[in-house]
Amino acid sequence: MSLKEILRDRETWQGIIIILSLSLVLGAVSQVGLIKRFLQGEFKQAFFSRQEYPGLVFISLPEVEELWHNQQAAILDSRPSSEFRRGHIPGAISVPLDEVKSGNYGLLQTIPAGQPLIIYCEGGDCLTSLNLARLLHDRGFRDLRIFSGGWEEWTAAGLPVEKTEEDAQ
Amino acid sequence: MLNNKYFLLFLRLVVGGVFIWAAVTKIADPLSFAQDVKNYRLVGHNLSFITAIFLPWVELVAGVCLIIGVFPRSSALLISGLLLFFIILVTITLIRGIDVDCGCFGTFSRRADLWLILEDSLWLAMSLILLFSPGNQFCLLKKAG
Repeated sequence: MSLKEILRDRETWQGIIIILSLSLVLGAVSQVGLIKRFLQGEFKQAFFSRQEYPGLVFISLPEVEELWHNQQAAILDSRPSSEFRRGHIPGAISVPLDEVKSGNYGLLQTIPAGQPLIIYCEGGDCLTSLNLARLLHDRGFRDLRIFSGGWEEWTAAGLPVEKTEEDAQ
Repeated sequence: MLNNKYFLLFLRLVVGGVFIWAAVTKIADPLSFAQDVKNYRLVGHNLSFITAIFLPWVELVAGVCLIIGVFPRSSALLISGLLLFFIILVTITLIRGIDVDCGCFGTFSRRADLWLILEDSLWLAMSLILLFSPGNQFCLLKKAG
């Protein structure tokens, strides 16, 4: 059969319409709970379940600034170490997600316990902060706060930045 | 050889099976899949969610239809179309230099890379053989001839 014949065949299209409609119905019925939660705005910032990650929240720049100013939280930078060296939030600890994922779990031991953890990456659509937060959550860390505005928003607000010495020289 | 009825049945089982397996891993964890879709940075947040809810079901229903032989031609066309779309999507993603998990098999996913394009091309070739085969045997429902 040629493509032309197949595309001209009414049965081809009937079949496709039936398959698609069935999928729509099954998808909507099977995920009705999730769709409801989506419509209620639960997944506005990221696609993860709050029930699954109760110790994980998103915070905005003013909150980060206040915690940073009063030194009430440890700040983790999930970007690659080269970017961290070029500039980061003063006092932040470099925990590059790519290095942790490739097996360098020793990095997690540098994270101070007993205080809130603020995690950030580049900003915009960056995902490493969320993924690092998930990884930490799975390893028992709690009170994780994701600063989704990230490095972009921090620098745009003209807040102080710090560079590692070798690059600063 | 290409039109041998057992060979065609074998292809249906392989292609349909891959689609069912891919679909089940995604249906099991729609939120992760939504995130995977978003990571491709082609569609926005809401569309990523909608895709994650419905696309796996299209894969599942089309895969089942292909195997049991209900609308075999329609499901082969749909599956070929999806595979062609995935190949284009991964190619664009590679050209844009975005490093993502392919999202193809839920937690069993790997990077969207050149190998993935080759793999998808293999499935596409199989699916096209099915699409253009003169007639499918062993079908629950099919047009005579």
